Parts: sequence; structure tokens; C-alpha cells
Amino acid sequence: MDRSDVGALVQSAVDGDAAAWKALVEGLSPLVWSVVRAHRLSDADGHEVYQTAWFRFAQHLGRIREPDKAGSWLASTTRHECLKVIKSAKRLTPTDDPQVLDRVSEDRTPEQSVLDSEEAAAQSERVRFLWQEFETLGERCRQLLRVLIASPPPSYQEVSAALGIAVGSIGPMRQRCLRRLRAKLIARGAL
Amino acid sequence: MRDDDEAGGSGELFDEGPFDRGTDEDAGEQSRTEDELRQAAAILDPVPAELRRIAVEAYALHDLDARIAELTFDSLVDAIPVRGVADPPRMLTFHTGELTVDVEVTPHGLMGQLLPPQEASIEVLSGPRAGARLTADDLGRFIGDPPPAGPFALRLRTGDEVVVTEWLRA
Repeated sequence: MDRSDVGALVQSAVDGDAAAWKALVEGLSPLVWSVVRAHRLSDADGHEVYQTAWFRFAQHLGRIREPDKAGSWLASTTRHECLKVIKSAKRLTPTDDPQVLDRVSEDRTPEQSVLDSEEAAAQSERVRFLWQEFETLGERCRQLLRVLIASPPPSYQEVSAALGIAVGSIGPMRQRCLRRLRAKLIARGAL
Repeated sequence: MRDDDEAGGSGELFDEGPFDRGTDEDAGEQSRTEDELRQAAAILDPVPAELRRIAVEAYALHDLDARIAELTFDSLVDAIPVRGVADPPRMLTFHTGELTVDVEVTPHGLMGQLLPPQEASIEVLSGPRAGARLTADDLGRFIGDPPPAGPFALRLRTGDEVVVTEWLRA
């Protein structure tokens, strides 16, 4: 899904086109998920926040003022719900990072299937290593990059809505964070 | 939409000193690292398939005929915490037009009040499927079991209209 299609897809979904809705889910759910993950909620809380965001989006579908910015609407709604969870501190359980590394999804994405082949073992190792280094970045960098690496890549407007940071600061922060990550990888001899 | 990449240029010089200016080569390498990281996220931290399915099914929740009652007060966000109260009830207020719905959620149940007072049949939604049914009496009061875990909404059928509260987590 191209970001420029979002407005038209929202309109089609309003008009009753279930396939358009599905395309919106395909294109925007990785963004919603990345916002949840950026805020380090427990799995249970994260799943509920994700659902709340989509239920609200469905509910507001025909009433969203700028349909072409539906991604930002979803990102901002998700962020808002994440902050509520964090505010009710009793619900806050930080994600156990090693567990994330061990988690294997039952549904194999094409990227995951790559890891199945034996010759890809080295690549698999590299992916895990890269992810490990990413997880040890400072909180701000980890948050920003987690949202930026949603697939398909979000627009800066969406990243801004997802994290409550100014659009103009995303570019410079991104460069700093990627430079820092690369420095870590170089230090570990991985680059 | 990466229309503000140029904003990176000026700040870089001061961040890392003159020997580490951002160059075109850096930008290319950074993009490669970002792409690799994006692939790693798709492998190690993808959207759970179950959640993707739930989002697809959520399409059934779009209802152009119902009015949305907006959340205008949430004790979780708007209330000043009371010292010594460990687990205060969650107070929610929804508004649409002339109708106000006050809801209180505790581990023991759900209590609510419609204003102006009026009868209504109420459904406690927890997703696209049918939920528990409650009734508001002629004074607009209703009680029920605690909503199931996860997001919930109330669909209220008053005399002449259908109102749905904004989805939220109890």
C-alpha cells in the first residue's frame, strides 16, 4: 500500500468495500504495532491497545476529517492509549527482551521463511545480532527507530503522531540514532 | 514523504564535531542499516497474525447510523489521584449532543447513569460479536457485570436513536 492511497482506501471502506479495509490493515497495522512496541508495553497490554486503536478507527471511519492522514490518526490514537497504560502504573510490565528474541511466530512471513533454509543460518545470526544491538540503544533512539522501521515505512507525519515529536526533528534524530547503532556494530566487529 | 531530510544537515555539524560531518556515503550506509533493521523487525517482531485478523474483522464495527458518544472524562487521565486509595474505580463520561453517559467500572461490575434520565437497552460490546445486554431503568440507571478484558464500548438504544460510546480499555 502506497501512503498516497490511504485517503482513497478510507473512502472506499466507508462506502462498504471490505477489500479496501483489508488493504488499510495490511498497510497500517505494522505502524500501529510499532507504536505499541516502541512504548514497551507488556504483551497483554500491547494487544489490547492495538485492538482499541483499530476498533476506534473502524468506529470513526466515516468521520475522520482528513482521510489521507488516517495513518497519523491511528498512530496518535495508539500513542494516546499507550500513555494511558503507562499512567496506570500497575499495568506496566516492561517487555522481557530476550523473550522477544526467542519468540517464533506460528505464521511464517516470507522474511521468516528465509531463516528456515540452512544456508541462511549466518544471516539469521546477523539479524539477531543486529536486533540485540538495536535493543540496547538509548530509549529515545530505540523508540524512534522502532517506529521508523515499520514496514511499509511510515511517513514523518505518522512518526511525529506516533511519538509526539516535531516532524523537523525526526530527520536529524534518525541520523544520530543510526550512526550510533552503526558505531555499536563496528565496535562489535559486525560491520 | 521524507520531505524534511534536509533538516538533518545543519544539526549534524555540531553534534559530532568537524571530523564526522554527515556525508552522502553516510546517508547511504545509514539507509542500508535501517533497511536491515526493518527486515529484522519483520522477522523478530512482526504484527501477531491473530491481531492482524482482529483488525480485519473490526471492519464490522463501522456503523454510520449510530452516533458516537465521545469520551470527555477519564479518571485515569483527568482525575487527581486520591492519596491512600489503592485501586480507585474508573470513572468515564461520554457525550453526544444532549445525551451524557456516566460509567463507573470496578472489578465488581459496571454501573452507569444516562442524563437526561431515560430508559435504554444497552449492549456491552467487546468486539464485533454480540455482547451482554443491560437495561437502563426510567431513571437512566444501569448495572452489569464487569466488561470482559480488552477494549469495550456500550451501544445504547434510546427511544429514537442508537448511540455507541468510543472504544476504550476498561
